[in-house]
Amino acid sequence: MNPEPYLQLNRVIHEKGRLAIMSMLAASPELSFTELRDALAMTDGNLTTHIRALQETGYVSVAKSFQNRRPLTTCSLTTSGRNAFAEYINLLERIVQQNRPK
Amino acid sequence: MESNWAAENLQTIRTLMERSAVYRRALAPIMLFAGALGVAAAAIGLWFHLDSMRAFGTLWLGTAVVVVAGALLITRRQAFKDQEPFWSPPTRRIAQALLPPLIAGMCLGVVFTGVDLEGGFTVLLALLWVLFYGCGLHAAGFFAPRGVKLLGWSFIACACVLLLAAAFRNSDLNLKAHWLMGFFFGGLHLAYGAYLYLTGTGKNAT
Repeated sequence: MNPEPYLQLNRVIHEKGRLAIMSMLAASPELSFTELRDALAMTDGNLTTHIRALQETGYVSVAKSFQNRRPLTTCSLTTSGRNAFAEYINLLERIVQQNRPK
Repeated sequence: MESNWAAENLQTIRTLMERSAVYRRALAPIMLFAGALGVAAAAIGLWFHLDSMRAFGTLWLGTAVVVVAGALLITRRQAFKDQEPFWSPPTRRIAQALLPPLIAGMCLGVVFTGVDLEGGFTVLLALLWVLFYGCGLHAAGFFAPRGVKLLGWSFIACACVLLLAAAFRNSDLNLKAHWLMGFFFGGLHLAYGAYLYLTGTGKNAT
């Protein structure tokens, strides 16, 4: 078995919580903080930590605005985040292909 | 082993991406609101004998406008309460799926009402509305909980059966259009709304 694809997996995305956030954002142009929190059943603190980690690596951008005088935080994938996610999926597919019985 | 883990991860990603596109706002209040108005409109139509095409069309087109406006207000209120954008991508997708058949149905209603046809055409218009609405629900069902698609199919199947029955029995089905509208747009909406509440998917149904 070739361990190379596994070793190439992006460790930032590979974490369960961050992978879930990236997956949700990959299918939507943007999602609000509350939408992500409710859909993934995460606590505010947990979600904030993961989003901050993704923001620091430049995969997610966070925009803060006001809607009806109430704060609204929205998250979206950056181009580099989208590319990193696509690469991660490709590697997963390669691992599946590689281990498929011939 | 590793392959299983990778395949499971891919499946999780797929599920999450699908969930991201699903409309999560409360459907139950919208369904109950639409159902209550449907029943009320049917009762008004039957009570006041609004049987001419013009009276029938005006009553139900007016009801449709009120239902659409009310549904938008309910959605907006919930988005405001949950601190979410009102015009979110899932809401936009649902609106895009629903709009073509709704506009087509309304246009057809305006034409029928304007021409003021007599003699069983109110039943035909009611069934065509049921058919169009079913198509809209089915399209919206791709971005909503599974039950919506099923509800759409129920509307389409019932409308097709009744239209075919009308065609083969020389359009004499002996049905009152208000009863049809009350059953489909009142009763079925109320039933689906009650189901969503009872199964706990009334709020944030996914």
